Amino acid sequence: MLGPYLIGLIGLIGLPALLTAGIAFTQYDALSLPQWLGLDNFGELLRDDKFWNGLRASLILVVVAVPLRVLGALGLALLVQSRGRATAFLRGAAYLPTLIPDIAYALVWLYLLNPLYGPLNGLSQIFASGVETEAVNPVATPGIWLTDPRAAQAAVILLLLFTVGEGMVLLLAALGEIPRDLYEAAELDGASGDQQVRHLTLPLLAPSLLLLTLRDVVFSFQASFVAAVIVTHGGPYYATTYLPYWIYRNANEFGRYGYAAAMTLVLYGITALLIGGLFLAARRWREVQYAG
Amino acid sequence: MLDDAVEGLPAVVVPGLPPGWERAWWQPTRTVLAVLVGLGGILPLLWMISTSLRPTTLPAAIRFEWIPPALTWENYPTIFQSFALGRWLGNSLGVILVAVPLTVLTGSLAGFALAALPARARTGLVVLSVAALLVPTMVLWVPRFLIYKTIGILDTPLALIAPSIMGTSPLYVLLFAWAFARVPPATFEQARLDGAGPLRVWWSIGLPQVWPAIGAVTVLATVAYWSDYLSPLFYINNQDYYTLPVGIQALQQSNPTGWPLLMAGSVALTLPVLGIFLVAQRFFFRLGR
Repeated sequence: MLGPYLIGLIGLIGLPALLTAGIAFTQYDALSLPQWLGLDNFGELLRDDKFWNGLRASLILVVVAVPLRVLGALGLALLVQSRGRATAFLRGAAYLPTLIPDIAYALVWLYLLNPLYGPLNGLSQIFASGVETEAVNPVATPGIWLTDPRAAQAAVILLLLFTVGEGMVLLLAALGEIPRDLYEAAELDGASGDQQVRHLTLPLLAPSLLLLTLRDVVFSFQASFVAAVIVTHGGPYYATTYLPYWIYRNANEFGRYGYAAAMTLVLYGITALLIGGLFLAARRWREVQYAG
Repeated sequence: MLDDAVEGLPAVVVPGLPPGWERAWWQPTRTVLAVLVGLGGILPLLWMISTSLRPTTLPAAIRFEWIPPALTWENYPTIFQSFALGRWLGNSLGVILVAVPLTVLTGSLAGFALAALPARARTGLVVLSVAALLVPTMVLWVPRFLIYKTIGILDTPLALIAPSIMGTSPLYVLLFAWAFARVPPATFEQARLDGAGPLRVWWSIGLPQVWPAIGAVTVLATVAYWSDYLSPLFYINNQDYYTLPVGIQALQQSNPTGWPLLMAGSVALTLPVLGIFLVAQRFFFRLGR
């Protein structure tokens, strides 16, 4: 009965991983047979500026966007956890952007970030990195969201921050699992609200926060890819050519599946390192908690 | 209407804030934050809708408009008549009609078996499923592209449907497993003693007990296949097999600044998802708890 599921796990997840590892050592255009290259693809990786650029952009995105997303989800969950019509409405409002399909979501942002009449253009100047940009609109402040490298990176992060509703729902469910008596007991012991949150709510939420962080790391690769394809086209000046987008261009545009597989292998490695690192950090944190 | 519609969307019981939090500075801060969150959540959708109603005959906007100077519904019929959107909509529905029932079948079958496994094997498979969930789509598409090409389903709708043979996502299998685990084992034991095989127990005893899980997976899978932009982007080249999300991207490529039409397409893609969730939250989000 597990048959189809196991076949799927092997065929659609396990086999692809092996295949990636195999193809990574070849030159392969998906038309003629792959040719063995040994480590040449990896040698090229070391010299490929766009690869390092993509790696850096992806890591910056993870380091900036993921903590902001997790904190945002936590803040939202604490903000809207009480009952009532107003908070129910807020929960719905916060959840709404996560329901918009990827392509529609990216397109509406492309519209909102346009330099001519985007409503957030004034904000874009904050991120100006001093690169020369042309004023496109003499009437209003020109938006530089899509013309300035740093502003474009900020725009993608902004785009990711509007979809923290799913994380909020997960944390609300976890908050609901915390027995009310614990708060009453803490109250009797004279713990203030801040102390209750710090010593009761947060430690009990820790497993959910870890889960959410892991999920967001994985999610950020996908979300930034869609943003790069639709909103920024990887630009300006390759500022948003994240590693997944550079892999996509190599495979899809240049037909270099071997090279793309080598980079995919690196992406596997990074994902494993990030997830493993977070796990270890969480375990260490727990040991410290219980020791103290 | 929206207020009514979204009420209780994430239907979980939550206690109020711990008492000491109700400080003098906290209340106003909280209100400001709440207003920002509310606006931030709703504005993108409202802008999408308001732009979709802007007549294409008007000259392009030169500054931001909350509401266009004139309003029209024309853009909606236009996108379906002047572009292949009708066909792509049909493709989207076709994929859903095949993939979602298949997902429920394979997912519930696997979940049923998973719940019945001995503890050790079950833990192993659950860990494996969670690990599979953490594999990013972005590392899978190159090898999947090559596999699909090799077995000859690349550039056919089968490439879009393929994940449904494994219940689409390990998450759905786990949802089913949790649902089956909550059914008292005696229910299945009795049927087994009466000589029913595992498939029979799953179909006639198991499935009727897990309606909330079936509902939840149906909704989640339907929305996932409907919204899926990456699979057709990666695996479909032939425009005849496009689904709506890549179709709307094609619309953008043929007319990059035709915002009213693009937003009409986006609204057409988004509203069914909202509708499904509104109906669904009345049914199983409450039932399921």
